[in-house]
Amino acid sequence: MTPLEYLISGLVLAGVFFGFVAVVGIIRLPDLYTRAHATSKSDTLGTVLSLGGVMLLFGADVAAVKTALLLLFMFITNPTAAHAITRAAYEQGIEPWTADDGGGD
Amino acid sequence: MSETSARILVPVGESSTFRNTAAYATREARRVASETGEEATVHFVYPVRWQLVDEVERSASEEVADVLDRARVWAAEDLDYDDDGEIDDDGVPVSIETAVVGEDRYLFSPSDFADVLLEYARDRDLGRIIVDPEYQPGGSAPMLQPLELELSRSDRIVEEAPVDRVVERGRFPSRSNLSKALVMFGASFGFYLLLAGVLDTFNLVTGAVSAGIVTTVFSRITFRETPKAGRLLRRTGRFILYVPYLLWEILKANIEVAYIILHPSLPIDPKIQRYRAAIWDDLSVTTLANSITLTPGTLTVDVDRDSLVIHSLTGSARDGLAGGTLERAVRFIFYGRAAARIPSPRERGTVEDESVPQTPEEP
Repeated sequence: MTPLEYLISGLVLAGVFFGFVAVVGIIRLPDLYTRAHATSKSDTLGTVLSLGGVMLLFGADVAAVKTALLLLFMFITNPTAAHAITRAAYEQGIEPWTADDGGGD
Repeated sequence: MSETSARILVPVGESSTFRNTAAYATREARRVASETGEEATVHFVYPVRWQLVDEVERSASEEVADVLDRARVWAAEDLDYDDDGEIDDDGVPVSIETAVVGEDRYLFSPSDFADVLLEYARDRDLGRIIVDPEYQPGGSAPMLQPLELELSRSDRIVEEAPVDRVVERGRFPSRSNLSKALVMFGASFGFYLLLAGVLDTFNLVTGAVSAGIVTTVFSRITFRETPKAGRLLRRTGRFILYVPYLLWEILKANIEVAYIILHPSLPIDPKIQRYRAAIWDDLSVTTLANSITLTPGTLTVDVDRDSLVIHSLTGSARDGLAGGTLERAVRFIFYGRAAARIPSPRERGTVEDESVPQTPEEP
């Protein structure tokens, strides 16, 4: 394997790791607001790292530029979606979970 | 509050019928004053949607001063003549005041505008508000009716000036001009060619046609103000500086959140806080809100009035937010170095705990 291939594998693996963290977060976190943290961020970073790997794989090509654009749109749409969901919950008066609600789990 | 009042507030903005509204307001002030013997005054108030300290928006603040100057001159002119154009020296004196309000907050919704106007009216004890029928405080967004509704919820008398509207309305939503069209065309054409990937005749022609259609349809609503090349370049330059910084913040904070999520005892301490950001226009608020959401541990729940409602996952994420580095970076992009020196939210004391509104709106 060349150093570039190591780098690509590293990026994709890191992407998979953060995708995994997002899933664990959705399962473990207690309420909608905290779950939105997991989906909007760990997920974004996971996608971004994987796509970064893809970009390096393409090398200097139009496809790489398109991947970069894809990254940009992920950065814009992911937080917007999380915001839309939590805002809807907030306006419905859904109380966020706090540390007093349940000790630890 | 009596039926009518000689103490009048007129919200001011660029509008085609403002000349007549100003005339109507001064006339009404004098008429009511001569009937009731009240002291007549007309306040022309300009609610601004952006920050005047902004070094690059100086031309905008000149525009505000210009509009208010005109209002003052017109009113003075009107007071010298009565309805039939005769010189009228013995009329009741009407004092004219002008003011700019809302520089220190982010005015967005009709109720924000109504709030600053009503606050001003209360402070100066102005009992009557006359609204220009073509008044558009929201720039491209039509908000006159909701604004009037919000205003009429108060104890002040609210009315629309009975002036003729100009029927020809090429102005909606904003005037198109060459630089708007050029920026729009350039951006969409460039994007098309980027996606096409190959610069052959077919792509160039279809791209030009598509970009032309996009420009015709959207150039009037995409920009509120005419883009200026210098400002655009400076902002783009600073934005490019911001991206690596944001990526680094995202990476750092993600590792922290991954640690929390994978930690067996799940050490979280979520809380919702309201936080008044010192930024002043739509684009920078959007950038800040999205950056906050992208930075793990903090999530923008709502942009409400002039503040952001933020859900934070841990205490350390809250501290980071109150430290204000992100906010400062966003200010740097949009307003330059001087604005970056404004104190952090913690120093300003604009962070407070927030509870969820307990009256959900019925559909």
